[in-house]
Amino acid sequence: MTRTWADMAAFESFLDDGGIVEVDDHMPDEYRQAVFAFIEMHANSELMGGLTERDWIPRTPGLRHKMSVLAKTQDEIGHGHLLYMVAADMQIKTREEMLEDLFAGKSRFHNVFHYQAVTWGDQVAIAFLVDAAALASQQAVFKNCSYGPYRRILKRIISEEGFHMRLGEDRMMRIAQGTDTQKEIFQGALDRWFWPALQLFGPDSKPDDVLLRWHIKSERNEVLRDKWVQKFVPMLQSYGFTVPAPDLSYDEEAGKWDVGPIDWEPLKRTLAQGGPDSARRINEAKDNWERTRWVRDAMDRAATVPA
Amino acid sequence: MHTYEIFLKKDGRDEYRHAGALDAATDDLAMVMARESYIRRAEGDRLWLVRRDHVIVADPDLIAPNADKPHRHHDGSAVAARRKAMRNEGASS
Ligand SMILES: [Fe+2]
Ligand SMILES: [Fe+2]
Repeated sequence: MTRTWADMAAFESFLDDGGIVEVDDHMPDEYRQAVFAFIEMHANSELMGGLTERDWIPRTPGLRHKMSVLAKTQDEIGHGHLLYMVAADMQIKTREEMLEDLFAGKSRFHNVFHYQAVTWGDQVAIAFLVDAAALASQQAVFKNCSYGPYRRILKRIISEEGFHMRLGEDRMMRIAQGTDTQKEIFQGALDRWFWPALQLFGPDSKPDDVLLRWHIKSERNEVLRDKWVQKFVPMLQSYGFTVPAPDLSYDEEAGKWDVGPIDWEPLKRTLAQGGPDSARRINEAKDNWERTRWVRDAMDRAATVPA
Repeated sequence: MHTYEIFLKKDGRDEYRHAGALDAATDDLAMVMARESYIRRAEGDRLWLVRRDHVIVADPDLIAPNADKPHRHHDGSAVAARRKAMRNEGASS
């Protein structure tokens, strides 16, 4: 309804000048599709992440941690809510269609949610490493995001991811000062989660990545990944843990850590819904959706009852 | 199901700001959802919900003319220049 652009070149120069696209603008179809797919994947990931988090509410040790896991669960489901709303407003798929596609294994969610969290140590590793990786990618999107509704919602999400990361670090520090068994449990979790967390950033960005060109992403995948490595490798070591990278090396001159070659096969498998826990996760999410149908139905019925 | 636009205000300082939207079956449910989705950490102490189909949206053509009314602005530079010129005149005489 609002703005139109003569052609893609005009639209791109608008974006290059820092222009912000709003939902009622006549944006080019390719842009609408690409931004929608990106937000849909983000929304799916928040929902799948929230469900993992929820699984841990009864198993979390101690009331204090339990309450923080409850809060984090609510945050992640809340993020999903906000993002599905922003995505649905782009009028490509309704929220129901997005959920149907997710449960049918037709749409994507982040690699890290295709694995199982085995111990409480895994939960700590996830909060610390995965939330940090997710936060870093989201910050890089927020920084210069050309799609207004997404950018504004990201601001809220980012501030809450910060809580999750700090909770993760808090828990990790306790474990680092804990018993040998606790340290072993966390090391086991680290061995399972280090690589998936690193792979969350994805392989090196392609030169023609439209998300970079259209100012959705502000930074290349490999740059964000490297920043994460430089921060977390020394941090994990300083807490007394071993980074599970056999070819890990430190370049004295550059002052930089190198984790060695990255095997992208596990990431590819997760993107094809063939990760170690993909099938169970998707089915569980679907069952959950069915089990909670009565709540949604009751809400809809409330709407038809005269006040 | 209706779509509601959410507006939050904090601390008496700033104005109500648009925070996002949500779908809900009734006004009451929308209020609860807004509390749980948008102000879990007291991001606002006042909350407005407006049904999206009640929002009256301006036609861009109605608004556009006011982007071109320079006579309604004054950035002060002309006054500053004149003031400076007058001061210089005063100093030289
Ligand atoms: Fe989240
Ligand atoms: Fe999170």
